[in-house]
Parts: sequence; C-alpha cells; structure tokens
Amino acid sequence: MKERVELGSSTALALTRRQLLQRTTLGAGALAIGALGLPRTLRAARQINFWASATLDIGNDWQAFTKETGVDVAFTDNGNDPGPVVAKLAAGNANDIYDVGGLQGGSEKELAKQGLIAPWDTSKIPNYGTIWQWAKDIPYLSYQGKIYGIPAVINADSMIALQDKVGKVDSYGVVFDPKLKGKVAMEDAWINSAVFTAIYLKNSENEKIAEPGNLTRDELGLVMEFLIKKKKDGQFRTFWNGWEQGVQLVANQEVWVMTGWEPIVYAARERGINAYYAVPKEGYEGWANNTILLKGAVDRGLSDTAHVFANGMLAGYYGCKLGTMRGYVVPTDNNGKYAGTHPDAFDPAKVKALADHVKDKFAGKVYWQNTRPDNFQLYEEWWQKLRNA
Amino acid sequence: MVAEASERLVRPQTLAGWLCRPALALSLPAMAVLVGLGLAPLALIAIWSFWSFDPATYWIKPELTFAAYRALFETGRFPVFVRTIGLAGVTAVFCTILAFPAAAVIGLMSGPRRAAILVVLFTIPFFTSALIRSFAWRLVLGRTGIVNEVLVAVGVVDQPIEWLLFSNFAVAIGMIAAYLPFAVMPMVLVLARIELSVIRASGDLGAGFWTTLRRIVLPLSLPGVIAGFLFVFVVALGTSTEIQLLGGAGDSSIAIMINDVMRVVNFPLAFAIATSVVVLMSVLILLANRWLGLSRMFEDLGT
Repeated sequence: MKERVELGSSTALALTRRQLLQRTTLGAGALAIGALGLPRTLRAARQINFWASATLDIGNDWQAFTKETGVDVAFTDNGNDPGPVVAKLAAGNANDIYDVGGLQGGSEKELAKQGLIAPWDTSKIPNYGTIWQWAKDIPYLSYQGKIYGIPAVINADSMIALQDKVGKVDSYGVVFDPKLKGKVAMEDAWINSAVFTAIYLKNSENEKIAEPGNLTRDELGLVMEFLIKKKKDGQFRTFWNGWEQGVQLVANQEVWVMTGWEPIVYAARERGINAYYAVPKEGYEGWANNTILLKGAVDRGLSDTAHVFANGMLAGYYGCKLGTMRGYVVPTDNNGKYAGTHPDAFDPAKVKALADHVKDKFAGKVYWQNTRPDNFQLYEEWWQKLRNA
Repeated sequence: MVAEASERLVRPQTLAGWLCRPALALSLPAMAVLVGLGLAPLALIAIWSFWSFDPATYWIKPELTFAAYRALFETGRFPVFVRTIGLAGVTAVFCTILAFPAAAVIGLMSGPRRAAILVVLFTIPFFTSALIRSFAWRLVLGRTGIVNEVLVAVGVVDQPIEWLLFSNFAVAIGMIAAYLPFAVMPMVLVLARIELSVIRASGDLGAGFWTTLRRIVLPLSLPGVIAGFLFVFVVALGTSTEIQLLGGAGDSSIAIMINDVMRVVNFPLAFAIATSVVVLMSVLILLANRWLGLSRMFEDLGT
C-alpha cells in the first residue's frame, strides 16, 4: 500500500500527451477493457468500475457486497503506484473506463486541481458521519473546502525489531545507531523512508522540520544528506522492496531492525522469529488509502451510484471482510456493529481488537504519509542521489 | 543465355521481381517485425530523448534540447552508468572464461546425444524467473545462509561473512550464474563447426594440447567467444534484478535509473539513458566486428 508520482494537464499538447500515454499504457488498457467485458454504455446502470489497489479487492465477496448495497462492482487493480494512476487519469483513458478510484493518499489535491476527480457530496453518504474523526481530518482529503477523498483503509507504520538481538527499542534512532551498522534496513522508497527519517530528526535531533510528510526544499536536503551520509557509512544492510524481501530480511535475521509494515512481524513470528512492532516515541507514520470519485463517472450520470457504493464501503460488511482477509481497518465503528449482528459470519471480538489496535496507534503522535508532497519531483531526484551515492 | 538468366536471378528489375526471390520473400516477415517492433520504437525513443520536459505539466514538448543528455551527468547518474558497464564487463569476462571449457566439451568432445543433454542442462537456469534465481542466492549467501553456516561449522570463520550478500561479490555471483548459458551457446556453435581433422593434423605435426588450443582452436573459435562475451555483456547491462536483490543498500544500475525517472514521467531522460546504451552497444558490436572478426562466425571454419 505505497507509492507515488505525477502528471499534469496541458491543453496545447493534449494530442501528443495522449498519444504517448496510449503507447505506454496500451497493454494495461487492453487488459482493463478485456476484464470489463462490455462497453460502458452496455453495462448495468448500477454497476461501478472500481479501480483501486489490489489489497482493496474482496474477490468473490463483491457479490455479497452487491446484495447489501444493490451496487454491482467490477474491480480492477490499479497497480497501487500513484504515478501511473495519475498519468492514466490525466492523459490516458482511465476516466472513460473507471468510476471510482482507490489510491494511497496524497494525490487528491493534484487530481482535483486538474478536474480529474469530483468532490463527494457527503450528504449522500450517510455512513460518512461514522468515520473516525481523526481519519476525516487527514489534511489532503479536501481541497478548497470540498471533500475529494474518503478514507477506505487506514493504518500507521513504524519499525520491526528482533527482541533477541536488540531488546526493546522505542526510537527510530536505533535505525541510525552506528552500533547496529550493517544490521538495519529501510524501505527503498522515499515515500516512507524520508518520512521516518524526518520524524526522527524532528523529534529526537530537534531539527526544524514542520511537516515530515511534506518537506520543504531545505528540510528535504537535510533529511536526504543525513541518509546519504548513513548509507556511505555502511549503516544500511540493504534497502528492501516488496513483501517477500521484507519478510525474508527479518525472518532470516539479515537485519535486526527495519522500518516497515506490521504484517511482516506476523509473518516472521510464524517462522519462529521473536520479532515485534516497535512503538517509537517519535510517533508513527500514518497512511490511508482513499476512495475518489472519478470525473468520468459524473459525466456518465453515475455519481449517485458511486455515492451508494462509497456508503456501502463504510456500512460494515466491507470493513469486516477486508479486516478478515488482510487485517486492514476501514475507519468506522460500523464494522463492529455489523459483526455484532452477524456473529455467524464475523467474530465481533476480532473485529473490535483490530479496530482498537489501530486506534491505539493513532492515540499517540502520528505524521501522515503523503504520496504527492509539494516537492515530489525533488524527492525523486534526492532518492536517486541516495541510490547513486 | 545462361549468363542472362543468372543476371536476372541476381538483379531483378522490378519490385515484383524482388518479391519473387524466395530468400528475400521468406525473410520479409522477419524484417518487417524487426523494423516495426524493434527499430521503429528505437528511432522514436531517440527522437523523443531530444524533446523538452515540462516540469509544470510533467509532459514532453517537441522542442529540441539536449537537457536530457546533460542530466545524464547530474544526480550521480554517470558513475552509475560507468559502474553498470564495469559490472557487465566483469560478468561477461568471467562467463566467457568459464564457458569456453564447457563449450569445448559440448562442441568438440561430445556426440550429438550427449551434446544435446549438456546444452539442455545449461538452460536449466532459465526454467525459472530472474527474481526467483536471485532470491535463492539470498538464502545461499545470507548471514544464516548455507555457505556461512558451513564456513562457521567447519571453523573457517568465527562469525558469518557479511560481504557474501548485499555486495558487489553477490551481484557478480548472481549474474555469472544467470548469464553463463548466454556465453556457452555461441561458443558451442562455433566449436562444433571445427573439423576434427584439423585438430588431428595439428597433433600429427607435433603440436601438444596447449599449442593446438592456442594456435588452432582459439583462433577458429574467436568469433564465438566474442559473440558469447557480447551476449552476456548486453544482457548484464540491462539487468536490474540481481543488483536490486543482491547488491548493497540502494545499489543502482542503468535499468534501475530508467525505472526511477519513468516514475516521475520524465520520458526524455529515460529515453536519453536508453539511447545512450543502444549507441554504446552498437559501437561495441561494430568494433568487435572490425577488430575481432565477429562476422567470421558465419564463415566455414573447417578448412
């Protein structure tokens, strides 16, 4: 559930842009059209083409979702990387095909500015009011007073540590501690690693950093120079990429401390490794995968159906199902209520425990991840410098 | 009369005449595919690499600029370029050295049946993906991997050796293991075409094993050796998997750089990197042909 990038609009160059994007995305587009089966005009009026991160897919259980909401859902994986997603919306044909998107948070402002997504009318989403307030308050969900993103999944990340090797740790400082040189790792993505480093420098080194998820040019330079120096000193065993690599590094004890995703801890424990997820005093990196209303859906008269769909995602069934399948939390108490009225389908205690676990994380200090910080091109440049250093 | 007919065969006067030539007609589909799917996209990429990138719209404009080529020397890209070439070169050298004896066994000393079996054995690494192959090396070379466990168990070292994994050594091991077959195959083809009578004659004239190898086998097989080197070099130059999985923290390569700049939709820079690689490879192949006689691979080596 990560990642980045951007593409803007240009009326003068629309044809050129479209041509190039069509070439680069031809394969994906063909697959998508194939998966949908029918042209837009021939599809059912109550069908929503949901284009989102694969982790939001509940597979055959969309049929049960349809029974609950009356909305037929055709799911397509968008690859999760915001860059290509934004590109396909801006210059490709994504808005011609899909109705609702699901994207790691941060791109909403850029998409709204370009008129590629439409604001949600929360009065048509009764369950919107049940979303946990701090989730509704994520800064990048709205633009010019209008709400463009509805948090569908929410969590907070920190670091994985091996109890037998490093004991109990409570600071990101351990990742940069020379005593653990060559025994730590960070993710090969600025979207997380720059934020974790900024959180550490802000809180433990008293560096002047206003918002770790949206660094200014100078702040970014400070953070990345720090990382480059650590890399040159041989501090990092590797920069990991993807689930399998993350699990392997911890499970084989290649690294003793690693910033990363909480499920890696569970996977390592299953292999007999005494790993735990640290509670850093500097705070967590919060992230959200948000539901966005594509402008194409509005143009096709599917806005109301999309609102019914968004409301359905918050009604409880989807949250219970996603929690069971992937351990993700839809930020509403409706999940618990639904499990309570459907104990044969979901374990209410488990649903509550999952929600409480995430709520506990957000009770402390949390800095939001942002897939599209203001200087995002600069982030990419710096990350390449770090790689090449 | 015969000369006239021969002239017609050699020089058809019309397009229809050209198309009637069986060899040319047979090669047309392949040539169309090569031009349509290979050369045309490359030409487009080369052209677009000279277009300007607009950071406001993250798109390209048809305005001639060398900005993308200047950017090759920024953000530490050029050292990565050089390092990747060096790594590919080292891999190709090792693969060539290791492949020659194996190719000699297959091409010179084995009958058709055994040669076929050996060739199949060399293709086994390709039965699985590069990702899986590289990942497997992690389990072998890691801190708790087989190699370290054996070394510690037999007392060669007290602690696991750290540099076995996430190092240039690990990358080189992964690449050599993966790309060795690319060097073996062209050498086998060339060595198999050497007449054994030539080698026997060398022996009859008093040459020993090493003299025959140095003065007969190596010169005759040189085009295959060069081709094997180039095959490995080209593939190693474009790889990213081994470097990402087995290299040190954030190790980069040309392919990884291209991927990085594509993520920010900077197409001209990505195309400039790709074009530079194509130019470099073209120059290398031309030089190999001119100085080392690569084209001799297609000549009769028997006499």
